[in-house]
Amino acid sequence: MTTLDGVVQMFDDECQKLQNLIGIADSKSNLTIDQIVEIYYQVMNVSSMSVMLRGQSDSEPLLRKLRETEKLIVEKFDSITHPQIMDNLSDSIRADTKKLQSGNSGKKSKEEIESDAKLFEELRQKMSTREFVEQYEKNLHHD
Amino acid sequence: MIEELAKNLANLKKDFASAYDGNSQFQEVIPASSSELFPVHAEHLVLLHQFATDNPIYYNSYEKIIGSTSCIVYEGDINKYWLNSIQHGSSHAPFSPTWMMSAYVGSLIAQDLGYAQVVDIGSGDGRIAFCGRVVGMQSYSIEIDDMLTDLQDSLCSSLDFNPRCSDACAFDYSSLNLKHPVFFIGGLAQMGGISLASGVIEKISLISGLQKNSGFVFAGTLSKKYAADPKNHAGWGTLIEKSNLKILQTCSLPTAWTFHESDDTPYIFAQFEK
Repeated sequence: MTTLDGVVQMFDDECQKLQNLIGIADSKSNLTIDQIVEIYYQVMNVSSMSVMLRGQSDSEPLLRKLRETEKLIVEKFDSITHPQIMDNLSDSIRADTKKLQSGNSGKKSKEEIESDAKLFEELRQKMSTREFVEQYEKNLHHD
Repeated sequence: MIEELAKNLANLKKDFASAYDGNSQFQEVIPASSSELFPVHAEHLVLLHQFATDNPIYYNSYEKIIGSTSCIVYEGDINKYWLNSIQHGSSHAPFSPTWMMSAYVGSLIAQDLGYAQVVDIGSGDGRIAFCGRVVGMQSYSIEIDDMLTDLQDSLCSSLDFNPRCSDACAFDYSSLNLKHPVFFIGGLAQMGGISLASGVIEKISLISGLQKNSGFVFAGTLSKKYAADPKNHAGWGTLIEKSNLKILQTCSLPTAWTFHESDDTPYIFAQFEK
């Protein structure tokens, strides 16, 4: 197997992984933060490989695969999956914020404060994930 | 003496961090009494403990001997203030406190450098302004978040550190009649500190005669999670150069946000080049 063949095989594997992750994202409205981060990294990973492979060979099967992958990212991920993830994250942040605000009155025990602190930490993680996802959105509009 | 105090405080924090097994969002210690390692005026210590005891951000405290120093551990939670600040989008950076003892040491350094007034910018619960008063300086505390200035008002009973609810970049500093002030800038450079500091420096430069007598204190970070400033100085190098400031002293002190890190927060004391 040539080096290029090896890279193409790797690209195939990574595309398959991306397709699976998009499938999971489409079937679930409450992805974990790890799942969200994983899918965006995979999109970036496959996009970078795609740019690298373009121009390396004029093999028709490879060019076809590159076109299919681009279609998957632009027409499926960017147009459907990514906006859905953004909406779900925003809804979840809004709901968590409301819940934490409503529980902010009155004196609490040490245990209650420390238990609430975990919910605050989860909210912070979601907000930071939304920033990460928004960064992807900004790059989309700059491309 | 102040440098020794800062070094001993950093060591105390290291010992405390490795021994701490609680679950609070943030925690800090204040020596229970004056000692060889912490030769702090007894009256000053009483005031520092008073501030912590009266402050609703702390929900628990207990005695503990750390190394050879008898201390009071204070456990706190600032989540509701964080939630309020992000709701209004008013803050340059969410409130996260420095340690009381660090605010105290910072005030001692400022006094030692010859400053007469402390202006705590983006002051959170106002602890730096409070500590400025403890060491005998005039103090002013500027905070944009009204929930936090309400908290500060409630802490002024033992010492009034003049809380003002205002945007520090729009505040009229000439109204304070400052002569030789030091401005402690709240927030890391990478967390909104640059725009806050730039805004304040611009306001100060417009007041006749004040610029040459003013000092600034910046809270830096050595954490790899923030982009480094090309001119270094823990994130502040570019602003220091651009604003024609000269560094007088840097002192590393514990803060809530460096509790789990090996590096403390470098506080950079600077003034305008003459």
